[in-house]
Amino acid sequence: MNPQDANRNVGSPPRWAHWLLTKLHPQETLEEVEGDLDELYTYWYDRAGRTQATLRYILNVVSVLPPFVRRRKTDKQQYEQLSSFHPDMIRNYLKIAFRNLIKNRVYSAINIIGLTTGLVVGIFVLLWVQHELSYDRFHRNTPHIYRVLTNVGKGDSREIWSHTHAPLATFAKADVPEIKNAVRIRDNRDFVQFTHGDRQLIDDKKAYVDPSFFTFFDFKLLQGNSNYPFQGDHSVVLTATTAQRYFGHENPIGNVLMADTKEQFVVTGVLDDFPENSSIQYDMLFPMNLYATRFTRDHKGKTINEDWGTFTYDTFLELTPGTATQSVEHKLAGLLRIHFRDIGIDDPYALQPLANIHLYKTDGSDGLIQTVNLFLIIGILILIVACTNYVNLSMARSLLRAKEVGVRKLIGAGKVQLFVQFILEATLLFAIAAMATLVLMQLLIPAYNTIANRHMVLRLSDPQLWSVIGLTLVATLALSSIYPALLLASFDPMQVLKGRFSMGISTTFFRKLLVTGQFMVSVGLIAGTLVIDRQLTYIHTKELGYDKEYVFSVDIGKMQRQAQLVKADLMKQQGVRGITYANDQLVNLGTTTGKTDWEGKSPDQRFFVHPLTVDQDFLSVFKLSLVEGQGFTGIASDSTHFILNETAVREAGLTNPIGKRFTLWNTEGTIIGVVKDFHFASLKQKIEPAVFQYNPGNELMYVKTTGEDAPQALAAVEKRWKQYNAGLPFMYSFLDDTYDNLYKSEQRTGWLFSLFAAVAILISCLGLFGLATYAAQLRTREIGVRKVLGASVVGIVQLLARDFIQLVLIAIVLATPLIWYVMNQWLKEFAYKVTLDWWIFALAGLLAVGIALLTVSFQSIKAALMNPVTSLRSE
Amino acid sequence: MRRTYLGEFEEVVLLMVAILDGEGYGVTVSQALEEHTGRIVTFGTVHNTLIRLEEKGFVTSELGGGTAERGGRRKRLFRVTALGSRALQEIQQLRQELWQLIPPKTLQLSGS
Repeated sequence: MNPQDANRNVGSPPRWAHWLLTKLHPQETLEEVEGDLDELYTYWYDRAGRTQATLRYILNVVSVLPPFVRRRKTDKQQYEQLSSFHPDMIRNYLKIAFRNLIKNRVYSAINIIGLTTGLVVGIFVLLWVQHELSYDRFHRNTPHIYRVLTNVGKGDSREIWSHTHAPLATFAKADVPEIKNAVRIRDNRDFVQFTHGDRQLIDDKKAYVDPSFFTFFDFKLLQGNSNYPFQGDHSVVLTATTAQRYFGHENPIGNVLMADTKEQFVVTGVLDDFPENSSIQYDMLFPMNLYATRFTRDHKGKTINEDWGTFTYDTFLELTPGTATQSVEHKLAGLLRIHFRDIGIDDPYALQPLANIHLYKTDGSDGLIQTVNLFLIIGILILIVACTNYVNLSMARSLLRAKEVGVRKLIGAGKVQLFVQFILEATLLFAIAAMATLVLMQLLIPAYNTIANRHMVLRLSDPQLWSVIGLTLVATLALSSIYPALLLASFDPMQVLKGRFSMGISTTFFRKLLVTGQFMVSVGLIAGTLVIDRQLTYIHTKELGYDKEYVFSVDIGKMQRQAQLVKADLMKQQGVRGITYANDQLVNLGTTTGKTDWEGKSPDQRFFVHPLTVDQDFLSVFKLSLVEGQGFTGIASDSTHFILNETAVREAGLTNPIGKRFTLWNTEGTIIGVVKDFHFASLKQKIEPAVFQYNPGNELMYVKTTGEDAPQALAAVEKRWKQYNAGLPFMYSFLDDTYDNLYKSEQRTGWLFSLFAAVAILISCLGLFGLATYAAQLRTREIGVRKVLGASVVGIVQLLARDFIQLVLIAIVLATPLIWYVMNQWLKEFAYKVTLDWWIFALAGLLAVGIALLTVSFQSIKAALMNPVTSLRSE
Repeated sequence: MRRTYLGEFEEVVLLMVAILDGEGYGVTVSQALEEHTGRIVTFGTVHNTLIRLEEKGFVTSELGGGTAERGGRRKRLFRVTALGSRALQEIQQLRQELWQLIPPKTLQLSGS
């Protein structure tokens, strides 16, 4: 638009300024401002002339350009919706959400309890999983560090040992260029008790290590020199906690520890405590050289690097990055042939990645990782079950809120606003649940630490901990709030307000699906609990083939010299029913050897046998029965007599074994008896061959007592023991306890499973309770009419409960094959196990139905008993 | 509605609108300001203040009265609302009350 011709004689404002004005000034006020400025131009022109007018015009145009100009709100804009994220709106959402929470106390409580329970358990499980997965991954070189495994035997008798012999590391480091570094660790059992001043302590986690230990791994040396950690053979490196225990606040460096009142060790280093997620855990580290020197002294000048027969060393190798493990394994095999001899095995060594030690077995198959995965799945399932509750309840209640949504939409609420409102409502609920979760976690941490055997604290500064918690919270929030919010926000207001609104088939179906899913998890966990419990009971009550009741074992130490005398003396004491000596723990025989020979052995026949030396009372104390022949009697010739178990006889292929020649190590003798098979190891293993050899005075004494007299028997034994082992602590263990320890992890799994099952059921039932309440509410009038027409209370309860019970039944059918598969996998660990009977699943299903029925019927009965007059009058 | 405050310049502009009695728009308000108070301000300042006053509810506006002078474009004419006049009166009254409280000698002394 141009100014009119009439104004041209007084001149006109610069075109460009005018153009700028039309382009940049807000459209709403352009017309009036253009006019005003034109008018003003004329006014200025008249009063001050052209130049002044032009200048003023330009200045004033600029004053009404953005950013200086204020935008006039059009009438529409003045009442238009605020942004969905405007602070006022968010305040409004929160207010509404809060009012809703208060108004629907029951639903809020159900949701918060369900979510909190789920979150607490889920987060704890995930924290445990994360902890297990983080084992040994904190070393900078973890990806390049391997443990050397030793393969022994061939075919059926092949075994994989995690220990190697000493020379391997030495030669490997020297001869194989791909190996950057090597370290050996050997458990140290040469000392029992350490003394500093008046402090006497027993540390059982001790090891001899190569000095390279401190540079090889990333364990932090707080004090001392990591390149020269030891100064001479009689030095020791302690962990910080150990040092604190001996020396308190004194500086440990240079201080002296007395070992077993005979040797002194100077502390030359303090190591930060081993991280909890380290497979390598010790309290005290001694120089390998100390052991090597002793070994040479005791073996007539032979060094440990010449001893290829003792497999007691953990050997770790660090490879140069990018090296193929196979080529290294091959080279190690070559080393063995060059420096020792060809032992007839192609692959005597295997390399196991450091990060796998904790989670996988030595043969590479799943170890702990199986439990970790199982728990990971369960943890996620429990969280999903908790989320499902929220989704289900909010979807069910969306019918009630449909009208609210309709009215809001008519007033002008947009989809986004409603969506944000419902998400915020969920967030508020979650915030409360999260708060409760954190408080509960803080309270439950001691319990968690006991179960998981950890020392976790909820520290604000632990990023891993908080990332797990934070991620879980965000994921569950997203999972449970987005769908209901979308659903609610998408209602068509016209339909809703006309009352023609009903939930689509797909939503109802979806809800049923969720309930079914919840109960699948519950049924699965119940069945799992039952199976584990049955297996544990089986283990506990299974006839092991020997009697371990009220038997305790004692390491007799120096008493060994007077073993027979002590035995005769103790037998007279009250409460002592029997005494026998052996050289190994009967509950879990550790030693195996392949150095056997027997009459009729074919050259390629070989098996590993568990040797045990016992005295003449062994069979009677443990009530082991002989199948054939006789036991040891204590006569001189017993030293060349052997007793085999049935399995050994079978595997050796002996018929009529009595009197046959048998050789164990260098002892040649005859078989005088065959003992009935008994379980001398965890029931996870099949019974293996065993052979008894006679020795009247062994280092381990077994004392049989009775339940009542155990304290007297223990006191009597301790008194004798102290006479011979002055200054040393008396330690004993009951066989029952030792046996139970074999199944500690299984017991823990069983315990946890029942906990998870309880939680899953609790949460599912909370949801079911909510749904039933809601269904009863929704059908109030229907129930009223039915009652008026003569329906019975039972009929109405049936009507209400049927829907839910149907879902639970479907869940049972779907869950059974899954849980059957999983439990079968778990039971595979055991060589001796219970069968998976159908009734376990039936029982689990019955339990689930029963619990569901109880939950549902409470509400249903309440609804059915209602007076129809009350419910119909509201119409 | 929470209390809305009136700034000093806003008050002056509102007074101008009252003086002009229905004839107030951008140009006349600017001119009246210059005439009565001697203040020369940019047009943008007046424009913005008028919009703000309207948002606060002290004035209303309507479009009308295009003249040849302005190329036939309409003006936005402002009028003081009841709220606006009450606000002005309150200010006036408050001032007066405050004046009453000044001891008579104070101003004479300081003024002399």
